[in-house]
Amino acid sequence: MKPEKAQLVIQGLKEAGIDFAAGVPDAQFIEVYKMLAEDPRIRYVGAANEAEAVGIGFGAWFGGKKPALILATSGLLVATYHLARINLLHEVPVLVVIPYRGDIGDPRWLGLYKKTTEPGLNAMDIPYRIVSRSADIVRAITQCNESARAWLKPVAVLLSEEALW
Amino acid sequence: MVTRFTLLEELAGMVPDDVLVLASIGNNSGFWGELTERDANLFHLTMGMCSPAALGLALALPKRKVLALDADGNLLLNLGVLGTIANEAPKNLTIVVMDNGNYLGSHKHQPGMPTATSGKMDLAAVARACGIAHSSTVENVADFRERIRAALSGDGPHFIRARVAALDTDGPKRTRRIPDPRENKYRFANYIQRTEGVEILGSGLGGG
Repeated sequence: MKPEKAQLVIQGLKEAGIDFAAGVPDAQFIEVYKMLAEDPRIRYVGAANEAEAVGIGFGAWFGGKKPALILATSGLLVATYHLARINLLHEVPVLVVIPYRGDIGDPRWLGLYKKTTEPGLNAMDIPYRIVSRSADIVRAITQCNESARAWLKPVAVLLSEEALW
Repeated sequence: MVTRFTLLEELAGMVPDDVLVLASIGNNSGFWGELTERDANLFHLTMGMCSPAALGLALALPKRKVLALDADGNLLLNLGVLGTIANEAPKNLTIVVMDNGNYLGSHKHQPGMPTATSGKMDLAAVARACGIAHSSTVENVADFRERIRAALSGDGPHFIRARVAALDTDGPKRTRRIPDPRENKYRFANYIQRTEGVEILGSGLGGG
């Protein structure tokens, strides 16, 4: 991801009021993670795996933070049990931002994630929006976070096509 | 060997009302819910989620004491969190692990299956090697009481591995229903809102 697009992700998180983030670095989003780790307005916690990150974000919400989880498509699979749990049992809102590897247009063969990402989110009853243009990144992030907090459930933003590549 | 219930009874008598306690699923939640009637309890933290959730809460509220009431099988699922805790180093966080070396022992009359800690694994040594300096194992009430007192009065993070019997041969009489996750969420969040002055639940109309 080009730094200017990563900057749009950070801008969207800030405009959404996100002040806490957790995740595990991913190749396509590495610029986003680096910017988060250096940004004084968002407390970033690097977890050892994505399920741990879900637990950390869940706990931070109870402390008054507005958390986001920055998850790779592979990491979404690792996070699934805890994400499903906080969505369906606890009903706690977290914004989930995912670089959508394996979507149509991904230059590498990562079709596994086409088969798991959207079906997985649907199975967990987690609403999502796919963003294909970088011009829509900020608005999608703010709207998805607003819905997450209104509905008290996780909502995901998936970056694909020109928004990601 | 000391039982989980014996130590939880001790803990219930020591923990101030304003300490936020997050309890793992199973008898940690069931016993703690019977022993204490307090707004500052969050129950039902599932496998691998108790200590991470306590870490997130401790980082969000750095001036508030947070205590995770975790268990060996539960912690083992996300053991990497010990490294995260060590590096984030929240001074207000205490992890108590009821280590019975056993899966399902809390619910059965016969041992379930052994966890790694029933073999060669020493969770307190793991925590120490991860970088949590205040890490120890306790095997009796007196040592447990001393370590809890130190954790509640001094800077952490603290890690207390309590070696307990594999089976819960004693326990509280069931007198009340432990709140379900949603009911518990509202009570816990409202309590934190009231005592910390933070907004958690919002208006429900997107403004929160």
